[in-house]
Amino acid sequence: MQWPRPHGRGMNAMAGVYISWPFCAQKCTYCNFASGVFPRELEGRYLERLRRELRDWEWPWVAETVYLGGGTPGSMAAEALEGVLSEVRGRPWKEATLEAAPGWIAREQVQAWRRCGINRVSLGVQSFVERELRRTGRKHTAEGVARDVALLLSEGIGEINLDLIAGLPGQTEAGWRESLDWIERLAPPHVSVYMLEVDDDSNLGHELLLGGVRYGARDVPGEEQIADFYEEAVERLAGMGLARYEISNFARPGSESLHNLKYWKREPYVGFGADAHSFDGRLRWQNVETPQEYVQAEQIRCETTEAHGDEEKFFVGLRLMTGVQVADEDEARYGEAIGRFVGDGLLVRDGDVVKLTNRGVLLSNEVFAAFVD
Amino acid sequence: MADRLLEYTGALSQREMMEQVLDSMDLERERGITIKAHAVRLEYHADNGNTYQLNLIDTPGHVDFTYEVSRSLQACEGALLVVDASQGVEAQTLANTYLAIHHNLELIPVINKIDLPSAEPERIKEQVEQIIGLDASEAVLASAKSGIGIHEICEAVVHKVPPPKGDPAAPLRALIFDSWFDPYRGVIILARLMDGTIRKGQRIRLWSTESTYEVDGLGYQSPKPVPCDTLSAGEVGFLFANIKTVSDAKVGDTIYDAANPISEPLPGFEEMKPMVFAGLYPVESHEHGLLRDALEKLRLNDSAFNFEPENSVALGFGFRCGFLGLLHLEIVQERLEREFEIDLITTAPGVRYKVELGSGEIVEVDNPTKWPNPSEIIKIEEPVIDATVITREEYLGEILKLMEEKRGNQKKFEYIGGGRVMLLYEMPLNEVVLDFYDRLKSASRGYASLDYHLAGYRISPMVKMDVLVAGDPVDALSIIVHKDFAFERGKALIDRLRKLIPRQQFEVALQAAIGAKIIARENIAALRKNVLAKCYGGDISRKRKLLEKQKEGKRRMKRVGRVEIPQEAFLAVLKVSQSGSEE
Repeated sequence: MQWPRPHGRGMNAMAGVYISWPFCAQKCTYCNFASGVFPRELEGRYLERLRRELRDWEWPWVAETVYLGGGTPGSMAAEALEGVLSEVRGRPWKEATLEAAPGWIAREQVQAWRRCGINRVSLGVQSFVERELRRTGRKHTAEGVARDVALLLSEGIGEINLDLIAGLPGQTEAGWRESLDWIERLAPPHVSVYMLEVDDDSNLGHELLLGGVRYGARDVPGEEQIADFYEEAVERLAGMGLARYEISNFARPGSESLHNLKYWKREPYVGFGADAHSFDGRLRWQNVETPQEYVQAEQIRCETTEAHGDEEKFFVGLRLMTGVQVADEDEARYGEAIGRFVGDGLLVRDGDVVKLTNRGVLLSNEVFAAFVD
Repeated sequence: MADRLLEYTGALSQREMMEQVLDSMDLERERGITIKAHAVRLEYHADNGNTYQLNLIDTPGHVDFTYEVSRSLQACEGALLVVDASQGVEAQTLANTYLAIHHNLELIPVINKIDLPSAEPERIKEQVEQIIGLDASEAVLASAKSGIGIHEICEAVVHKVPPPKGDPAAPLRALIFDSWFDPYRGVIILARLMDGTIRKGQRIRLWSTESTYEVDGLGYQSPKPVPCDTLSAGEVGFLFANIKTVSDAKVGDTIYDAANPISEPLPGFEEMKPMVFAGLYPVESHEHGLLRDALEKLRLNDSAFNFEPENSVALGFGFRCGFLGLLHLEIVQERLEREFEIDLITTAPGVRYKVELGSGEIVEVDNPTKWPNPSEIIKIEEPVIDATVITREEYLGEILKLMEEKRGNQKKFEYIGGGRVMLLYEMPLNEVVLDFYDRLKSASRGYASLDYHLAGYRISPMVKMDVLVAGDPVDALSIIVHKDFAFERGKALIDRLRKLIPRQQFEVALQAAIGAKIIARENIAALRKNVLAKCYGGDISRKRKLLEKQKEGKRRMKRVGRVEIPQEAFLAVLKVSQSGSEE
């Protein structure tokens, strides 16, 4: 499979734009992103700096997709959102996603989103079980999510994603089933299922490592159970017509996230704002991490590296269920490893295409590590 | 104490003082121990108005390095017996005293650390008289830390230690008591001149090799090297003479004048024989050559350790190495990793058995993989030691239990006053090289001292225990155990391995077996999940870093068949106690 390899000024493939809005009403216990609760005053300066970064970009192409992630960009004021999006060339975009916290979305808000060009909304639901939600610091309810979904549909936003997390503290089999039942009831065209990762830089992860009680670290389900939850979700979602197209993403055919697909297909994207990442087909770069640094720094790009194309092709590409095409030069370099994983039942090979098996998905890091030097 | 004497006699100014000046190896400073003996010359202006030249050798205390003490004593006229004012006489105090008496040395008891609140100098004096049988009435009360008694020590040396007897005009006879390799000058010899004089440019000959060399340089340490033109009878100093390897200038050998031969050498030393054996393997098999070079370099300065190539099905090419004891092994291992930056896998240390075969042949086996077929074995003898333990009464219960568990036979039990007990046991060396030190330390909360020496061999029903991982024997995990202890050892070892070997993609069976008989079994459940399922907004480098970290973790493991085994697993047997509990 030949991915387009444009770079620099000649970047002419269909590219994506990512915009980071790191502000949240509260910090979730499992979160290790450079986002959270910041002083009000910072938001204004951040907005200004963000608009300047967008304006300064040379725009060698027009954007095909836009993704506003966070943080909680859904809480942006209408004028602020318009101010940002008006700087992004290519409106109306083929796909423009906004991440939002569910529970209290107002009709006027959705109407404003639509006016700005937003046509897809991703709700950070994580769970439909009240007890699980409270323990992670979330305040919404299942009914609130249902109301939001109905509202989005009534305002013409049909492309909706709901996020779930398997492995929240106190999560039980019954609780997980309840969340999946809600998904079935609400029937969104896209679902993401993340497995809780213990990052030592999140509050919860810190506690897991040190053994505290405040964030419920002791009640985090075991690896076995998280794996069971995940596999149950894969099966249930398939039954609802939501096919797994990437390790943690499930969609009805045609509702896959075009923007996120660019990451896995190694197509170009440019990120704006704090901790945003970019790839032009050859180079990868990254912006400074915190919003404070972002508003102050002269140089907001903090790290640029040459992409490792031949390796990424596998450890990024294999995340997609369509698999990766093995070229002759890959055969020489990775043939032995591929053969071993096929023998272990982690990969399956069909002609010159290799894919992860069901078991391989859960052990994918074991596979991916072999493609990193 | 040695540092304080240096400072007091002005060999070093206070500004130059660094803790443990004489312990120059990084490892010695870090661990606060002495591994190599160090010789230094001091000038002392005594109260009687005379100036004396004192040659001081600071020696190690650990039993692994007793030979360093022994050869240093042979170069001396007297010794300071330093006893801790609160700890009292320890097992090694006794051993070193006997060595000194054996060499006819004048002993000066020094009770150190008398400024500690727990110090009991009078009781300790009694102990010295009772246990060692030394007159302690004139023992010097000192504190190296606060400088108390240092003057008195120097005065005692001047008054009590006899001056050297040799004749500077007689034919040259010098005893080599240490040698090491210097990359610029070749081998440097540390020698005590018994008779005669040695000059720069002189042609000297070594008794055992009969090779002749021309002396390129002479000097003494004070403690920095000070070059000089001559050394004569009674003095201690170093010389170099373009000697290529340490084995050409054996410790204990006699140096004489090539032009003025002697008829008798000085009494030499017994050559130290390694007692503890282990396999050393590079984690990365391509570093095999690097490891060999490093071992050769270490051997240049450490003739007590030896190695020969061996190979293992599981670990590939490596070396079987012999050491004086566990501390010696640990030091060599640490130096290889630190100074030569080689990642090592060390297999469980063991001893050398004498095995009599049906054919009448007796073979010495120090590697479990070379253990003869049991059907051919007539008799097995294992090395035993006489171990002296001195401890406090309150820990006796635990210690007696431990000695029992370690197959010890009590030979002596003696109350030595002050609530202290001295135990003498005959026990298999094989039990000491496992986890004995750690166990003794925890059984006594650190209040037990141990000293031992090889006492001979005894017949024992030893068997080879194999470990099977996923059905395949892993030769590097095999150990030799006493038949009656095999079952429990096997269970504990398997339990320990289960905790050390990470989960793999599939379930892994761990088994301990004697011959075809499985004596213990545990399973390591299969790894269910190792996946990154979180969106990082296109942050590929984060994913990459995480994968690199995982890969680095795997790199430090050894793949045996389909199973990845971490380095520590090969030493798991060291951490296995009878009960299977971990320290």
